[in-house]
This record gives sequence, structure tokens and C-alpha cells, in this order.
Amino acid sequence: MKKYMGNKLAIFLFVLPALAIFIIFDFFPIIQVFAYSFTDWNGLTTPTFLGLKNYIDLFNDRVFYTSNRNQLIFAVIITVYQMFFATVFAITISDKKMKGRKFLRVAYFIPVILSVTVVCQLWSAILSGQGLLNKLFETFGSDYTQNWLGDRYKAIYVIAFVNAWQWMGYQFALIVAGIKSIPADYYEAAKIDGCSNVKAHMKITIPLLAETYKFCLIISLTGGIKAFTEMNILTGGGPNKSTFTLTYMMYNAAFKKSDYGYGLASASIMVIECMLVMLLINFIFREKNQLKEEEKSKKRRLSYGN
Amino acid sequence: MKKKILSSLLCATVAATTIIGCGQSAQTTTETQSEAPSEAATAEATAEAENTQAKEPGEKVTLSIYTQYADDDTKVPYDYAVEQLKEAYPNVELNLIVQAQDDGQTLKTLAATGQLPDIYQASTDIINTFRESNQIMVLNDVAKSTGFLDKLYEANKDLAYAEDGNIYAFPFSGQEYVLWYYNKALFEENGLEVPKTYDELKNCIEVFKSKGITPLALFGQEGWNTAAAYDVVATRYTEGGIKALDEGTASITDEAYLTAAKTLEELVAAGLFQDSATTTNYDQASEMFLSGNAAMFINGQWYIEDATAALGENVDWMFYPAADEASYEAGKSVFSGGGSASGFAVNPDSENAELAAEVAEFITEKYCEAKVMYRHNPLVALDTGKEPDSEYPAMMKKLSDTLPSITATTKFTWGLTNSTFNDGIQSESQGLVSGQFTADEFIADMKDVME
Repeated sequence: MKKYMGNKLAIFLFVLPALAIFIIFDFFPIIQVFAYSFTDWNGLTTPTFLGLKNYIDLFNDRVFYTSNRNQLIFAVIITVYQMFFATVFAITISDKKMKGRKFLRVAYFIPVILSVTVVCQLWSAILSGQGLLNKLFETFGSDYTQNWLGDRYKAIYVIAFVNAWQWMGYQFALIVAGIKSIPADYYEAAKIDGCSNVKAHMKITIPLLAETYKFCLIISLTGGIKAFTEMNILTGGGPNKSTFTLTYMMYNAAFKKSDYGYGLASASIMVIECMLVMLLINFIFREKNQLKEEEKSKKRRLSYGN
Repeated sequence: MKKKILSSLLCATVAATTIIGCGQSAQTTTETQSEAPSEAATAEATAEAENTQAKEPGEKVTLSIYTQYADDDTKVPYDYAVEQLKEAYPNVELNLIVQAQDDGQTLKTLAATGQLPDIYQASTDIINTFRESNQIMVLNDVAKSTGFLDKLYEANKDLAYAEDGNIYAFPFSGQEYVLWYYNKALFEENGLEVPKTYDELKNCIEVFKSKGITPLALFGQEGWNTAAAYDVVATRYTEGGIKALDEGTASITDEAYLTAAKTLEELVAAGLFQDSATTTNYDQASEMFLSGNAAMFINGQWYIEDATAALGENVDWMFYPAADEASYEAGKSVFSGGGSASGFAVNPDSENAELAAEVAEFITEKYCEAKVMYRHNPLVALDTGKEPDSEYPAMMKKLSDTLPSITATTKFTWGLTNSTFNDGIQSESQGLVSGQFTADEFIADMKDVME
């Protein structure tokens, strides 16, 4: 292994295919997005350099702020919902005494394998004006019928719930895999020390799943920032762009107004936001690791001193 | 050894499959090549031979066409045109690519990647965009040589020409109109007269709502329908409607547009539309109207055929209500809707561009014939000299009788030339009909859009 790692040519050759794909299909297009965001371009003709005009227009566009607010709401809702329920369900089914755990494990994951379009059509039928949910309220004599998807303020919460419902199973699978990798000895030791189940999970399971949670957090938050499909199918971004996100702004500018420059400016901001979130999450988690290592090294130094 | 043989065979199979996959798109070309004089011709010679084949009678030429093929109004004319094409151009075959309802996204992507079909249905937005990138053929000469211009109805002459005075598409739809349909039976059952004023309309709303009937089913998920809802009110105060705003000859802050917004706001507050209007699609809204769950419906005149088939004599259209009876009478000559330069366009980079242009003109003519004969819609761009296969529905007769008195029309959203205004009016009018945005917000936001 040491000999192999010392062979720079071998490393280069093995890394090259993946690196080439990344550069051609990810890195280069991202650079293009940033470059074209400074231009007036309809997607077909030669772009004309505009300087910062697209960005100035973007920051003066009320829909830009609505989109960012929606992204934040969306990201927070899906993160809290998915991580909370995924953890609870994963811990529940990790108990080997529990009956029906195999069935539940499959059931929680089923929405993930469904097409987003199918899921959205399903929820659209439930949430529409004459949909199942409102009919249920009517049947039980309640006047709590709502315009779930057409409400200017509430629709974004409903859309976020639909996304959270579908993708919770993905995080559930990750957390279940994480729990399985924790040695049973830890729980046995905790039990001998008189630790309750809840306390054992709080003190053992959750801290040891830090890396899994970091990954879950990244996919939830960046997923929230990039949200588009659910809005497109359930509300079409409406009413009056009140469920827009930056991705929707990009789509709308590029394909409805043939203004690719402006659309790519919003895409650039979205890319920057995603990167900032990832950096922030890495920073938060790295800080904790560093603190732990610092504490450990302090202890070591003290024990050597003694 | 066996393993080596097996793995070699597997590798060969995978490689062969890959090569077959790569060669799939060239299948049609290969078939044509087999009929060419020299099978051993080089690729360049083959391309030249294909160009020649297009002109030689008896040789098959396949032209790709990107057009709508979704309902009877689009399927019947296309199928008829294909049948007629077989007789007039026996050497031409059409390869249909069904148009996606995606605001031209697919077509623009095809254009960007150099895969534009030979013939495509182009809206005003597409014409304006492709004009700049030279991906739409100028059809002036073809229009003259085929006699297209002579066949155009006088009222539709302007429709053929783009802003720069050139012809880029052969329009098949003539002047079209937004009609305010109503269920006669429901009005009669509830003792209501057709409303002439907004006060009378509010009374109708109250009566229908008390009976659990939706006064007017709007398919507000589609921006053009909400824009039309605003336009039918705006035209009661100013003839130009949204057309004048699109052309920049009027401002959204003008009194007429503000009053129209406030009127619509009041009607929405009174409950004119269903609560979930902005998330209702066409199928849902149409079903509400045709099943008698909604008393009124706003759609183009092309809906006459379907509405008559479902409701028979119980359906009719009314002139748009106005603020008072005098305005109502005066407004009878002004309709929302209108014609647009949309139609069949040709890819100038097509190998058979000239033939495609001729075929596009031919198809346009046949579309008009089919619409008159089988869809009972005389509002087409060309004078075909054809008669419908049965009597026109009563609503169409009424519209035909009204046509001579129409003095002004506006535009459908697909005929608007300012894409920023188009996007703005669709979304802002959606906000207005949702009842969650005020008329003042509508005006302020539209002002921002226009600036």
C-alpha cells in the first residue's frame, strides 16, 4: 500500500477520470454561469457584457427577497422535520425487540423511490381546494378548510412539508446505517451503569452520529436552497411568485423571458449561498472536533506532567 | 481459458451494443442512402445526394415538425394535414415531435444545440428570439410564390408580418376572442338575467354562492387565463386593454387600469372565482363548468365546440359586463383577445429548407381547412373556401354575426411582444385574482415591472 501511494503516476491516473468528469461537467459550467451572469444573453446569440447590471437589478427585485425568504423557510422546515423524524424512527426500529421493524424500515423508505412528480400529484390531489384534506374537514363538520397551495403565505410551508415527507426516508436510511455501525458493547456498558434507553441514545447514539448528521444537514440545507420541482408542480411558483426560489427565478428569467444573463445572476447567488452553507456547516463541525482534540491533548500533557 | 473467452465475448457484446446505440440516430439517413445511386459515396457526397433527393420527385424526404398534438383542436387539423400532404407531396413524410407546454424551453434548447426541427410552431416570443440568432427562415418569397398572401383574410394581413416587416411564420389562427361563457340553464333555474353591469354580476355571485355553485371557474394556474380575466375588465374602461400596455402606448398607472384593477379586486372579494382559482388547471375548471358546478367560464372561442358538445343549448356567451349599461353597450364592439404572428416557421439550416417552407405553407392551409370543416371554427387566417361538415354551433353563429361590429381587440398573452411585460401581467394578475394582493399592490408591482 505504501509503495502504491508513493507512485505519483498511479495516483494521477486513477484520479484523472473522475477529475476530468468533475472539471468538464461541474467546474467549467459553474465558471460559465458566473461569466454569463455579467452579460445580456438570450441563450442563442453572442452575449454582450453588462458589468454588474444584472446583479443590481436582482438586488432591486422584490422577488429576489421573497425567493430567499422561501428558501430559508423551506430549508429550515425540511431540515428540522427530516432530521427529527429520521432520528426518532431510526432509533425506534434499531431496537431488536420491536415488532414489525422490517416492515417499517421499508415503509419509511418507499416515498424516496417514488418520482417527485408522482409524489407532487398525490399531494396535489390531497391539498387542492376540493381535495381530500378539505373534504375530511367538511365531513367532520369543521370549517378549517384552507386554500393550502394557493395561499400567499402558507403555501411555502405546505410545499416544504411535501418535500420533507418524501425525503425523510433517505436520511432515515443514513441514520439507520450509522446506528448499526455503533458497537453494541457501548449500550451494554451503559445498561450496566444503570442508564435508561433514552439516556443511552442521547449520550451514545447521537454524539457518535455527528458525521452522519453533518452530511444530513448539508443535503437538507442545500436541498432547501436549490428547491424548485415541488414549487413548479404544486403551485407554478404562484400565486404571483410568492413561492418562488432562486432556482425558479433562474428558470423564469431564462425560459420565459429569454433573459439568460439575469437568470444566471440568480443562479450564481444560489451557488454562492450553497457554498457558504457548506462552509458554515464544516466550520461548525470542525470546531467541535478541534475542541475535542485540543482537550484531549491538554489531558495528555497533564498526565505526562504528572 | 474459458473465463478469458467468456470475458472477451462479454466485452465484444458491450462494445457492439454501444456502437449500435451510437448509430441509432443515423438510421433514417442510412435507409435513404441505400436508394442513392452510389452506395460507396463519401459522407460529403451523401449529404449532397440527400439535397438532390429532396428535389427529385419520387424520392422520400422526411421532414421533422414540432407542433401541438394534445386535444381534438390540435389533433384533427394535424391528422387532416398529414392525409392531404400524402396526396400533394407523396415524396414527403412528416416526423411529428409533439410540442411540450414548457414556454418554448424545448424549442430553445433544440435551437441552442443545433437540432431545430425542419418545421416548428413558433409563438411571437420564439419568432423574436430566433430572429436575432438567424434560426428562423424569412418566408416572404415563399408566401408570394405559394399565393399565401392572396389567401389571407384582409383582417389578418397584419398577422403574417413581424415587427421588422418580414414574414417568419405562416399563421393559421385568425383573430381570436376571449369569450365569457355562461350556463343558461343555471341562470334560468336561479331566476337570473345575464349581467350587464358589475352590480348585476355581484348579485349573480351572491345567488350562486348561496346555492353552492361557483360563479366563475377560472383556470388560474395558467397565467394567460388570469391575464384575460383582467383584460376583459380593463377593456371596459379603455379599448387598448393589455395590448396598449404591451406596446407602451399606455401606462399601468393610468386611471382606466387602476379602476379595472379595483373592480376586479371587488369582484374577487365578492367571490367571483373559486377559492383555489390560482391552483386550478384547465381540466379542473372546464369540468366544473361543463358539469354545472360553475355558472360561468372564461376561455377562447375555440372552446365553443367542446362546450356545445357537453352542454348543448344550455350554454352561451355574454358580452363582458361593465360599470354601467351605457359602458356595457359601448363595450360590445371591444373584445379581449386578438390575432398573433404565431404559426409554422422553418429552420433555415434544414437540409431541405425550401421544401420545408413549401410544406409549412401547405400545412397551414390545411390546418385552416380542418378547423373550418371539422372544428366549426371560421376564425382562421386564410380564406379556404371550405364549408363546415355540419351547421355552425349557435354560439359560433352569434359570434360570426357580431364580428362585423367589432372595432377593437387586444391580445392573448402569446401574442404579446414584450416578454417582461408578458411575464409581469401573467403573475400579477394571478395575484389579483387570488384575492391576496390588492389592486394597489398590482399597480405598484406592474409599474416596477415596466420600469
